[in-house]
Amino acid sequence: MATTKRILKEVERLNKDPVPGILAQPIEGNIRYFDVLMDGPSQSPYAGGRFKLELFLPEEYPMAPPKVRFLTKMYHPNIDKLGRICLDILKDKWSPALQIRTVLLSIQALLSAPNPDDPLANDVAEQWKTNEKLAIQTATQWTQMYAKPSQ
Amino acid sequence: MQYVVPRNFRLLEELEKGEKGTGDGLCSYGLDDSVDDPVNMEYWLGTIFGPGHTAHENRIYSLRIFCGKNYPNQPPKIKFVSQISMNGVDPETGVVSAEQIGVLKNWRPSTTMLTLLKELRLEMASPNNRKRAQPAEGLEFPARISRSGERSESMPW
Repeated sequence: MATTKRILKEVERLNKDPVPGILAQPIEGNIRYFDVLMDGPSQSPYAGGRFKLELFLPEEYPMAPPKVRFLTKMYHPNIDKLGRICLDILKDKWSPALQIRTVLLSIQALLSAPNPDDPLANDVAEQWKTNEKLAIQTATQWTQMYAKPSQ
Repeated sequence: MQYVVPRNFRLLEELEKGEKGTGDGLCSYGLDDSVDDPVNMEYWLGTIFGPGHTAHENRIYSLRIFCGKNYPNQPPKIKFVSQISMNGVDPETGVVSAEQIGVLKNWRPSTTMLTLLKELRLEMASPNNRKRAQPAEGLEFPARISRSGERSESMPW
């Protein structure tokens, strides 16, 4: 099956030439299902944290985008309580030319550039707009509490 | 390799479907938001609108659903919050018997929470149940959440 070949190729490249700060490994028994560890970008409230995500390639992949969510609790205006991520390339801006690698890089970039004008978590976005300093402080605290690499 | 949707992504699909609305609106469900950290998507709430021309007509039944780690390979646990008298439902607790109710007994990974609620609704209208005397409307089974308030797979309510 062509899709399986493409997935295997992507996995091979992720292993050979890993993205710095991102580790994506297929979960045993399902080549479409990945465990992901992502380091928070430096210069962001997520710096020093290591975040857990899960990624699944649906049957229509690569014609449909991967499904991804955070498993680590996040304080971010574009990530909701279930870890679901509001990002255009995971929805209408998806293109089959994108890959697991590019998706994960975009998510990491989203951590550096929260967008409270297109919120998924409304209360967090509100806080971000009214008192950005406090919002960043909370995000930093949550990183310390929930995303320490030892956990 | 066989195409399998992992538990969490299957539950996210069900959640999205439930949020959009389930068609006729006779059965609905959603995540229980009162849980501190809902990331594991274990605790759900459901409602069934009582079938017409039965003792359940015009009643709204609330239910709790628990999806364990092995969902959907294993069926969820489900209990009525609203009091009901019905075959296969524990008269003390409202817990639906996995041995006596067909949709749980014959559970397959393709069965969803919506199917489960719809099947229970059909069961309410079955000859055994449709004319049974019912407790007064609005009563609830005792919430048997453990004293510490902690919930777990062995005691999800």
